[in-house]
Amino acid sequence: MIKTRRWIFAAMALAVTTALVFRPGLPVSITPETRHVFGVIDSLAPGSVVMISFDHEASSLPEIGPLGSAIVEHCFRRGVDIVGLALFSEGTAAGYDLLSRRASVLGRVYGSDWIYLGFRPQYTAAILGMGESIAGVFSADYKGQPLGSTALGKRVRDYRDIALVVSLADGSMPTYWVEYAQARYHERIIAAVTAVMVTSYVPYIESRQLEGIVAGLKGAAEYEQLLGHPGAGMRGMDAQSAAHGLIAILIVAGNWQAWRLRRKRRTMEGASS
Amino acid sequence: MIRDGRRARQTARRYPMLSRLSASVIPVAVMAGCGLMPALAQSAESALAKETGWFQAARLPELLGIALSALAIWAAIRLDRRGRIPKLRSLPGLDAISDALGRATEQGAPVVYVTGWGGDMGRPTTMASMTILSDVARRAAEYNCRLLFPSHDPVVASVAQETVAQAAVAAGRPDWYRADDVTFVSQSQLGYAAAVDGLMVREHPGAVFLLGTFEGEALILAETAHQTGAVTIAGTDSTIQLSFFLVACDYTLIGEELFAASGMVSRDHTAIASVQAQDWLKYVVIVFLLVGAGLLATMHFDLSWWIAR
Amino acid sequence: MKDRLAILTASGFGSFMAVQYFLTAPVANAAYRAILGWIQIVFAVALVAGVISVVRLHLKQLGRRRNQRVYSATLLGGAALMTILGFAGGVEQGSPFLWIFEHWQAPMQSTVFSLLAFYVASAAYRGFRARSAESAALVVAALIVLLGRVPIGEWLLPFLPSSADWILNVPALAAKRAVLIGIGLGMVATSLKVIAGIERSYLGGR
Repeated sequence: MIKTRRWIFAAMALAVTTALVFRPGLPVSITPETRHVFGVIDSLAPGSVVMISFDHEASSLPEIGPLGSAIVEHCFRRGVDIVGLALFSEGTAAGYDLLSRRASVLGRVYGSDWIYLGFRPQYTAAILGMGESIAGVFSADYKGQPLGSTALGKRVRDYRDIALVVSLADGSMPTYWVEYAQARYHERIIAAVTAVMVTSYVPYIESRQLEGIVAGLKGAAEYEQLLGHPGAGMRGMDAQSAAHGLIAILIVAGNWQAWRLRRKRRTMEGASS
Repeated sequence: MIRDGRRARQTARRYPMLSRLSASVIPVAVMAGCGLMPALAQSAESALAKETGWFQAARLPELLGIALSALAIWAAIRLDRRGRIPKLRSLPGLDAISDALGRATEQGAPVVYVTGWGGDMGRPTTMASMTILSDVARRAAEYNCRLLFPSHDPVVASVAQETVAQAAVAAGRPDWYRADDVTFVSQSQLGYAAAVDGLMVREHPGAVFLLGTFEGEALILAETAHQTGAVTIAGTDSTIQLSFFLVACDYTLIGEELFAASGMVSRDHTAIASVQAQDWLKYVVIVFLLVGAGLLATMHFDLSWWIAR
Repeated sequence: MKDRLAILTASGFGSFMAVQYFLTAPVANAAYRAILGWIQIVFAVALVAGVISVVRLHLKQLGRRRNQRVYSATLLGGAALMTILGFAGGVEQGSPFLWIFEHWQAPMQSTVFSLLAFYVASAAYRGFRARSAESAALVVAALIVLLGRVPIGEWLLPFLPSSADWILNVPALAAKRAVLIGIGLGMVATSLKVIAGIERSYLGGR
């Protein structure tokens, strides 16, 4: 089995590398879910405020990064202001980095067009607390300036001043946003999550507790197409296609081998009896 | 920070009870209180959002849900006292714990117990896992089998230390407990996964218990445990990770089986009675679902207005 | 006595948090906000205790366990370095702290995360077997979803994406909801037991 495992690992590395190098560029169709999220952000009036929470680890940046980048770009292009924060410590630096890079490219100004609040531990308390007072939870921004010292910081007092919350997550954090910010304060929530998490949030979409969901590299690729700006999401889809294809082949191969072994065992049992 | 740490340590030594309260009781209590809200709020937020007087009328469905749940648990405990609660069916994953510990002892290998990266001490799944840890630790102490518990959360680590120490006393072997084997590792998900993987590769455990709330680290841990040749017993309430555990582990407790298992190992009658109460509540939910689906299908009467505004 | 006080505290705070959810009184709201602040303080203190315990453990291992010295030294060195850089050089863009985060920590963590691709492949080969009619149906569903979620599936068979969506949104979701309802009820029961003082696992098995 150890030998087989090594072959499997090598085949996976080869498949992904080949796809990344040669980039077959297969077309990506846009799902209604991504189109809906795009529509929700597109319908926000310029000057309204979106809260983007970087609820992920550094490890999932390759998957979450392109998604976050596309959503941030969409908000900035629409003239929608962004309040960034992180409920996972590792999302803190990643979120600040992403926002500041996109802001500098699109000429958006810190303090008036976007602010970054930084990280607070104990996400339940933080989400609930912001429903009462954002300044009560984040008295100062990531740079240490008092929240009231920036124009945008003055405008956002609690969830009533936030048009939409986007949780960029690689885990169950959107559930907490739904359970505490939506259920208690009726805030609109969008989950931008890793592909593996997507089925967890579909029940919330159907019960209308979640405004929308966009998931994984595929979601990023779809969003980039809607923005008319292909990027890392589109590039990643080729590698994902190769990996999924290989896993499908391995499932078939594993079953074929098991079937062969079973048949051999039966033949031997028949011969011995 | 060092000064703060020293102060925290001194306070913990002087006031052990205060330290314990601050370490686990208050967060657990608050989360338990909050835990009632989301579990019910997931399914109940009235469209009739009126706030009248001192009571939030819009939240009446949640209140009724809590009252019904409390009533069911109370009734089940009463029935249990009269000996009228049926026995729970055995769970293969639970039955395998003894064999796994025996195997590890024969090999002279330790066992590793992981509660997952996704849960804190306020999460009922972590509480259920702690009850199972108590049983595993007691048996491990009896067999003199080393138990390693790496944790992602300092509060969980402190509760686990107390749990394992108590289990060692209950087994009549207080000297078996080693505080360094039950420790906080890292809050970072993949940092934690890498640390536990490293531990498993270095220590070659005979059995690995993955019981609690898991996220992306689930398959990484389960596959590494399999590679080291350990028996893997898993159980989680994370529906996504369940599929990974079912494929990669030897035994898996599915969702609420973890709660049932905790009741069974604790031999606590109230815990078993609450499993029965959950079954009754499930029947109530099924009736609601059937009535709702029937009304929608036949009369186009949509009852979901009370879930979302 | 100690345990009784702990249980009383759990019951008191738990009951208050449950009751205040239904109240509109400003006093309840103020108390609720104060408790939310306390939780953050309690957690921060617990985190300090956790960091102290990690540092103590690895300092001990530096002296005792030869084969693990290198790991302990790396951990202690890394933690000290990031703390010093964070305090001395700040966390702004271009700071050494953020540079190390972006160029060392994020790639290292992504490496561990990327192991999932290899492990999913090996677990799929080893464990995803059609041993019965039910498991055969699962294998077929897995193949459809695997291929239907990526462009190659649509390119091979155009109906795969819609089939994959149907599997995810109908049978898979129905099963998931059933499991979630069971888990939700388990959580409600456990929360009520904590408040009633029946559930005491948080006290460490006493």
